[in-house]
Order: sequence, then structure tokens, then C-alpha cells
Amino acid sequence: MDEEFPYYLQNIANLGGHEDRAWHIAWNPTKSLLASCSADKSVKLFTYNHDGEGNLNFTLATSIPTGHLKTVRAVAWSPSGRTLATASFDSNIGIWEQELDDDGNPGEWECASLLEGHETECKSVAYSSSGNLLASCSRDKTVWVWEVQPDSDFECMGVLMEHTQDVKCVAWHPTEEILASGSYDDTIKLYVDDPMDDWFCCATLTGHASTVWSISWSPNGKYLASASDDKTVRIWRRIGEHEFKCVLVLEGHERSVYSVSWGIGKSNQEIDSSLGWIASASGDGVIRVWDLSENSSTEPMIPSAKLIARLPTAHGVHDINSVVWCPRKGHEDLLATSGDDGMVKVWRIQGT
Amino acid sequence: MSGEIFNPNPTVFRSSTKSHSPRRLLAAKKSLWINEYEPSQLVQVLDEDEEEAIDQDEIFDLIKNIYDPEHPNTLEELHVVSAPQIDIAENRVKVEFTPTVPHCGMSTLIGLSIRVRLIRSLPTRFKLDIVVKPGSHQSEHAVNKQLNDKERVAAALENPALVKTVEDCLTGRA
Repeated sequence: MDEEFPYYLQNIANLGGHEDRAWHIAWNPTKSLLASCSADKSVKLFTYNHDGEGNLNFTLATSIPTGHLKTVRAVAWSPSGRTLATASFDSNIGIWEQELDDDGNPGEWECASLLEGHETECKSVAYSSSGNLLASCSRDKTVWVWEVQPDSDFECMGVLMEHTQDVKCVAWHPTEEILASGSYDDTIKLYVDDPMDDWFCCATLTGHASTVWSISWSPNGKYLASASDDKTVRIWRRIGEHEFKCVLVLEGHERSVYSVSWGIGKSNQEIDSSLGWIASASGDGVIRVWDLSENSSTEPMIPSAKLIARLPTAHGVHDINSVVWCPRKGHEDLLATSGDDGMVKVWRIQGT
Repeated sequence: MSGEIFNPNPTVFRSSTKSHSPRRLLAAKKSLWINEYEPSQLVQVLDEDEEEAIDQDEIFDLIKNIYDPEHPNTLEELHVVSAPQIDIAENRVKVEFTPTVPHCGMSTLIGLSIRVRLIRSLPTRFKLDIVVKPGSHQSEHAVNKQLNDKERVAAALENPALVKTVEDCLTGRA
């Protein structure tokens, strides 16, 4: 008999169509669209809406063949929701926008720009909260920061060569222009822009015993969560302008944790100490959700984490590659996952 | 690939001719790297629901005839793989292999070949861990890390030259 958890994950949608593993998903921040990308070199966009009876229906809106020569490993939406970036093993970043037809209606998704420069596979891409900057990373050990300019022009602002091995993921702070990267070298690095000079690495977070696969900032920007091949999720607290300290290690997964996502959560929005919910997904096929809160009565700097939901075999026997909370207001209880079965699944977290 | 051979004089052992496998396994239906010229592997459909136990000998049978990239000998003949070095838990298989020399630069290729053979042959419920025998390689940790990084493996298998080299090891064409 499973242990009792206060919440469970209800399966809302199972979206097939990809012909190979689905690596990554991204929720459009302004529109009802969910993007997924795959080793089949395509991106699929799913649209969702409420029917009359309180159900959320997901349908395939379009499949973009992309033209990437290899796996599409990651997708990211700009904050405006009008642009989509793709990161491919062919070493390029694609920038996609929807063309307007003669009547001004949105039509096909076209490649507005192709960012070349990485020497080997691109692993991740992300827009800053302002939408003015784009970061990309690769097995070539570098992180590139691009400035987004009008007419889909991109200017490279910096090539950061601080990691000693492949860079697996990049993630921007929710409000400030601070970039975090996770690497095969087991570290997390943080970068900021020096107005007089260049982008530089301002901090290195060590502690994980193996590759850092995924990073997610807390909604309030004071914490960072990282998922690692060492089967743990670590929580780092910002203790100075560019100083972070590991304050919590979340264990329980039995294989590499490939993805972590920190959402607002829904239970305690009135309570100041609530830090939100962390969802993690692993090669063990399990999705875990923790409720994080700051415990001001005891040690003020150490948050506490409580496991509130656990779903095994979310994608059957297959690895789960990505888990992401929906960022849109009114949908904070939605979670999307993608797996080696090529499926994209949507879950709603419900109280038991 | 450089012209240097890492181990010009490997010790070759006589291979066993007896097949221990009571049944043969089908190449995984959703295999990413379907190889048309391996007819001997296509025998019986293994339903995902059939959780029949797989033993060390069956896995050994799958990998023993993989060829070493540098020599016209199989991994069995060179004692690179053996049945006792295969560990099976409920849905996990761990294969330990022994490179012929501690500085063997072919280790990652051998490990990748073992993985490809097993991915194609075993039901998808099995998670595979491929490692070098502890103490047998001077860069043990680095080799193990590469062999078990899912993203690196996926990218390697999108490299046509590397895939061809792996296929040559699997079929014995050098």
C-alpha cells in the first residue's frame, strides 16, 4: 500500500505523436500553448482550453519540422510568448516566429533566425525575464549570451568558457539578469554582466557528486534548485549578492534526476513563509513534489521541505526527461512531463 | 581514429560454443537504431507485460560475440566480458567489462557497443549500467561517466561515423 500523501497527480492529458524520445517541454507564458521537442527533430505545439464542463482539453495545434539536422534537445519561449527558441544537437539555435497571413491572422511558424557558433551539441536555451537576452550552452563547455535585437537579429554579448566539461542547462533568475548554468563537471556557475567590461562568472557552486542536469530558480528569486546525476536535488540559498550556500539536499530518487521545476504552488499563497513547490523527475520514472517553506521560528536560513506527492511509472518503464510547472496565472496546479516513450503528459496536482 | 593500436598482443581465450540461452530475444520494437542485417536476433516478440526473468547467461550470449574494435576477436575470446560480470536486479542490468590494458582508449567504444547491442535486444523496462571493472582502467571514473551519460550516448549515436564503427564491432566487419 502506498504511503498517504496530501496531494496526488491526476493525469489530464497524454499527448503522443513524437516518433522518438521527447526531451523537453515549455509552457508559453502568455498563450494557451505547450511546446515539446524530440529526437525526431520536430517541435510540437499543443493548445489547451476549458470545455463547458470544467475539463481542460489539449490538442495538437501544429508540428514544426524545424529543419534541424539532429535531435532538438530543448525549447524555450520568450516572455512575450511570440518567439520560440530551439536548441539542437546539430549545434545550432533556431528562433521561430509565427508569420501573419494576408489578413493578419497567425499562420505557420517560420525560422526567423539561426544562431550558429557552438562547436558541438547544444543542450539548453533560455530567455531572460526581460526578453532582452538569450543564453545557450553546449557540450563544447561554453555558455553564450546573446542580446535580442529588433528584426530577429541577435548579437553575441559573451562566450563564457568557465566550465571544464559539457554545459547541460542554463536558467535565468526570475527578475535580475543573473544567469546560472549546470554542467557535466558537477558544478553550477553564475554569471553577471559587468557594465564596464564583459559577462563574467561571479560564483561557482560545488557540492553535487555528479553531473548537474537541470536548474530552476525559486519564484521569489532567493533560492536555486538543482537536479543531478547523483540522484539528489539540492537547494541553494542566496546569502550575498553573488554568494550562495547549499541549505538542503532532497533525496529519494533511485536514478539520475534529469529535471527540476520550482513553481509557485497553490496551497499557501497567503502564508509568507511558503516558497512554492518543487517537482523533480528522474530516470527511475518517478515524479516527486515537495512543498518548500521558510521556517522563521527555528533556523531562519534553512528552508524545510515536505514530500507532498509521488507518482511512480509516470511514463511507464521509461525515463522522464523533463518536468515543468505551468507559469500562467490560474494554472499553477498544472505540471507537464516528457519522456523516453515520446509522450508529453499533463498532470494536475490535487488534494487527496 | 589514430593509427596506434592500444594492445597489439592481446591474450585470446577459446570461446565456448554452447549457447546458454533457452530463448532468444527480439530487437526492441522502438529501437532507434534498427539494423537490418541482424536476422539471427529476430525470433520472438517479447511482450512488455511478460516479466520473464532474464539471467546472466542470456545477457552474456547477447554481448559475447561483439568484436573488439582493434582485433579480429570477440569480447568473449579476449575475456573482456563474462557471465559472472553481469549483475541483474529486477529492472536493471549492470555489465562490467574488463579492458585488455589499463590505458585502453577503445574502452568507450567497447562500452557503447555493449549498450547498443543490449538496447536493441532487451525489453525497454531494463535500465542499463555499463562500467569498467573496478581497478582495470586508469581513467575508470571518466570512462564510466561517459558510458552512462544518456545525453552523450544519444548524441554519439547521431554521429554517422561513430555509428558505423559500432556496427562494425557488432557484426564483425572491420
